[in-house]
Amino acid sequence: MQVTVHLHTILQRETPDGTIGRLEMSLPDESTLAELIEHLEIPLSPDHMILAVNRRMAELDQVLKDGDTVNLMPAISGG
Amino acid sequence: MANNIQNSKNQDFFSVWRINVRTQTFTKEQVPDTWMDLGGRGLLTQILLDEVPPTCEPLGPYNKLIFAPGLLVGHMLSSCDRISIGAKSPLTGGVKESNAGGRTGLQLTHLGIKALIIEDQPVEPGFWLLHLDADGARFERADEIVGLGVFEAAPPLLDRYGDKIAIALIGPGGEMLLHSAGIQNLDKDRAPTRIAARGGLGAVMGVKGLKAIIIDGATGAKPPIADEEAFRTARKAYTKALLDHPQTKVYHDYGTAAMVKMCDGFGGIPTRNFSSGSYEGSEKISGETMRQLMLERDDECEIAHACMAGCIIQSSNVFGDEDGKALVSPLEYETIGIMGSNLDINDLDTIARLNWEVNDLGLDTIEVGAALGVAADAGLMEWGDSERAGELIDEIRQGTPLGRILGSGAAITGKVFGVERVPVAKGQAMSAYDPRAIKGTGVTYATSPQGGDHTCGLTIRAKIDHLDPSVQVEVSRGAQINNAGYDTLGACAFSGFGFSLAPENIAALLNARYGWEVEEDILQVLGRQTIKLEREFNRRAGFTKADDRLPEWMTREPLPPTNAVFDVPEEDLDSIFNW
Repeated sequence: MQVTVHLHTILQRETPDGTIGRLEMSLPDESTLAELIEHLEIPLSPDHMILAVNRRMAELDQVLKDGDTVNLMPAISGG
Repeated sequence: MANNIQNSKNQDFFSVWRINVRTQTFTKEQVPDTWMDLGGRGLLTQILLDEVPPTCEPLGPYNKLIFAPGLLVGHMLSSCDRISIGAKSPLTGGVKESNAGGRTGLQLTHLGIKALIIEDQPVEPGFWLLHLDADGARFERADEIVGLGVFEAAPPLLDRYGDKIAIALIGPGGEMLLHSAGIQNLDKDRAPTRIAARGGLGAVMGVKGLKAIIIDGATGAKPPIADEEAFRTARKAYTKALLDHPQTKVYHDYGTAAMVKMCDGFGGIPTRNFSSGSYEGSEKISGETMRQLMLERDDECEIAHACMAGCIIQSSNVFGDEDGKALVSPLEYETIGIMGSNLDINDLDTIARLNWEVNDLGLDTIEVGAALGVAADAGLMEWGDSERAGELIDEIRQGTPLGRILGSGAAITGKVFGVERVPVAKGQAMSAYDPRAIKGTGVTYATSPQGGDHTCGLTIRAKIDHLDPSVQVEVSRGAQINNAGYDTLGACAFSGFGFSLAPENIAALLNARYGWEVEEDILQVLGRQTIKLEREFNRRAGFTKADDRLPEWMTREPLPPTNAVFDVPEEDLDSIFNW
């Protein structure tokens, strides 16, 4: 299945082509959010992240579906 | 709370400075016992309850303008030198506290001022400077700077009084008594950029005939500390907790603009006058883009900037133009949301220029941005027409009837132009979180005695389903109590992630500072006490349950893309303060 992942602020990736904040990813069916995070080798504890799938707060054990949009956001408390 | 010896030391150091602007007289009074254990937002609310008739006319002689530094102010403790400014609000008709960083809190405290109370109204028309130093207070004419924007008015004052001073001043908006006018304070670099923006306090200062308050704290002294060693230990532990927290790096590197994509990610970013919660241009106005631009432009750009001396978070910034020359400081999420996506303006340079204009006028960017959104809905500007937005802001500067309407805020603009979609609570514009998508923050907007204001209890950080109406009240309650506590300490909300990991540091700092023996829950004790006082003021001013509601259209009009409405039950809203 395909999912879109948005990496916010300090989770963005520096590449030779520039800073990448959005990834289109292929994952095995039935993958969970925790597996996605592990696969991406995110260097921040989930305790310090806000996780959203399709604009709703999500838990680590949420099973992802084809076409989902995932936001991985280092937690901040306000603006 | 205090033991007798320490109480006496603080009684000796602190006093209440009372200024009468009609007689231009000054008295220095002993701090009443009931005020001694309070500071900031809690203290000024107690003073309002004790001294201001809640039903008074906010721009009349019985209202008082109060400056109260928080309990921890005075020691350059990171992010803990904020000043609370308050009065009965001309915008909401209720209690108002608005706080700011910068130099004002620290320097008032160094003069031993527990509270500065400004009373009455001048007989003669015109504006004055109020000068405060260790010798007392004096009035001088402000003729040379009357009518000037804050960025033109501050430098001659620094030339005249020296660059060690703090200044709290109003812009043309405050002189015109506009309900969106705030009070601007010098930051650590002496720029008048730290605004106590909300609720029209600049109009209260304007009607009292004060263009600027000059505070020469260098003539004073640091406040006493009961146990120096314990204070050093607590400061070290707090600073370490703050430095170790991952949020510090995010705020340092991206500022509050990091919130653009987060709020958009939840479908809650205000777009085209709160008609959508997702903005197609969010990437272009994001914190990530802003950081990249500042790295490329360099020169005068500062990605991380402290508004108060000693702050280690440095979430502020100096945003520069294409040539790297400073456009505005700071460029923050709330302004990007309300004057960017909310007006369909997707260009940070343009938002920064509009932001500077509104700052120079001494107005609240949230209130003015919301008013412009309502004006656009009324057909006064096309979405995304930044040139027209600039013209409308210039109408405010010229003081035209249209400008005065816009400068009076979103609620009045909506009434005059017949627009129902007006994003206000208690008459005050909401911040850049649509309450239908972030419902806990909607509960805060509805029930906070302050009106629509995210700083009273933002809930977007909470790990809850923001769309589920059944779980919002508890989260809002906790956030409101904690924020009222921080505002009473004089602590920036962002100090909260240092304190949240080690809440014992708050009690340790207070105990060391004052010789108290308070427990770990002191933040909540102060927060609950403050909200209780505020609600009592509003009750006496005539507020009822009917005022603790969001606008009806937000309960009817679904917000794309989540299509959520605000559906937290009214009985839940009414139970929020039953603790």
